[in-house]
Amino acid sequence: MKVFNISNGNTLSVSLFTEVTNTKELLDSMQAGTLEPEVAFLNALLIPDVFPLLAAAHKTLIAKSQESLTTRTLHSELVYNYSGSKHITESLKRCGISDSSTYVLAARFNASPDEMKAVEKLVNGKEIGLEELEGKAGSSPDKKGLSVQHYKISGPELEISSLTDAITCRIAARDAL
Amino acid sequence: MELTANNEDGSLILIKQGAEARVFESTFVGRRSIVKERFSKKYRHPSLDSKLTLKRLNAESRCMTKARRLGVSTPVLYAVDPVQHTLTFEYVEGPSVKDVFLEFGLHGIVEERLDDIAVQIGVAIAKLHDGGLIHGDLTTSNMLIRNGTNQLVLIDFGLSFTSTLPEDKAVDLYVLERALVSMHSSCGNVMDRIIAAYRKSSKQWSSTMNKLAQGAILFCSCASKGSKTHHGWMSLLHSSIMYYGKMKRCP
Repeated sequence: MKVFNISNGNTLSVSLFTEVTNTKELLDSMQAGTLEPEVAFLNALLIPDVFPLLAAAHKTLIAKSQESLTTRTLHSELVYNYSGSKHITESLKRCGISDSSTYVLAARFNASPDEMKAVEKLVNGKEIGLEELEGKAGSSPDKKGLSVQHYKISGPELEISSLTDAITCRIAARDAL
Repeated sequence: MELTANNEDGSLILIKQGAEARVFESTFVGRRSIVKERFSKKYRHPSLDSKLTLKRLNAESRCMTKARRLGVSTPVLYAVDPVQHTLTFEYVEGPSVKDVFLEFGLHGIVEERLDDIAVQIGVAIAKLHDGGLIHGDLTTSNMLIRNGTNQLVLIDFGLSFTSTLPEDKAVDLYVLERALVSMHSSCGNVMDRIIAAYRKSSKQWSSTMNKLAQGAILFCSCASKGSKTHHGWMSLLHSSIMYYGKMKRCP
């Protein structure tokens, strides 16, 4: 688990899990609104680095402070913002977890240590360090494939920029497009 | 200041102030960043003002990301705030091409470096133009050289727009030529090297070059002092081409 300062003393606590076996339960309780504590689960295969996630978190907090959340909760907004797309259902499907996901990133705003412990208990899987993100989603062309496809990143762009930077740009510029 | 609310350590250091925007240095979730704030113009009607500012803010972020998609390096966009009219992007470490060229003027030219930069500029503009994007303000101070990799980074897409007209592209190049002549005449003919790289890498160079030549002949004879803005150049070029047509004689 790692805690990042986003802005104004707001933090985002992030944990990464692999070999998760209970995504279906997590998904069901999330959709029923009974997930306690409230937390965002993301498809970690689309996250080659933590920075774009922090940019999405920043965007989420600004929307919250301006009372202009597009989705129902702060944490679903994080998943939606990370997607870089305006299609909410599709965003939540692709960037959130599905029944078959096993590699999951959990994030919660302003979490207390106890709350993050509760999150770790919720998820049946092995917690790994965030430095593993790159190796699993950004180190080689075939691992980049999913992100490249989702974010529609062109060949020429990858020649001049890292995958992380390309994703960050899309997250930031979404509403301007 | 209201803006500080956005930044974790609250520090915003003013770097530059222009007619349309202020540029600050700050930090964005732990990274060094640049904040560009378009301020409101008190002489405009408030509702028109906010519409224009917002439109330009969005246009700039759109053009910057489009340039990246075309394979031209631009700073990474971190955030767009439509309420405070700010763009936040990556802080690019490195000198501007203007500083590099002025340095050449003072301490002698490093041929290799000059050539490398000129080729990168030509190739970058060719990529933009072939993709239908006009930068609108190509000057040497809007180009940075990233430390370490020596990669050319284009900045300030505030006057940028999309167009496939050869004329718009020629105006883009013409602005650059004027900027080079007035600032960096001691570096020799950099424009020729840029154009050579541009022609090599652009697929549509021919019609652009025709327009550029047409305009340039007239500009030389007019010795005009047009405004630097896109519309200023456009109308000047328009009028001079019409003038050229009427004269039917090459000056």
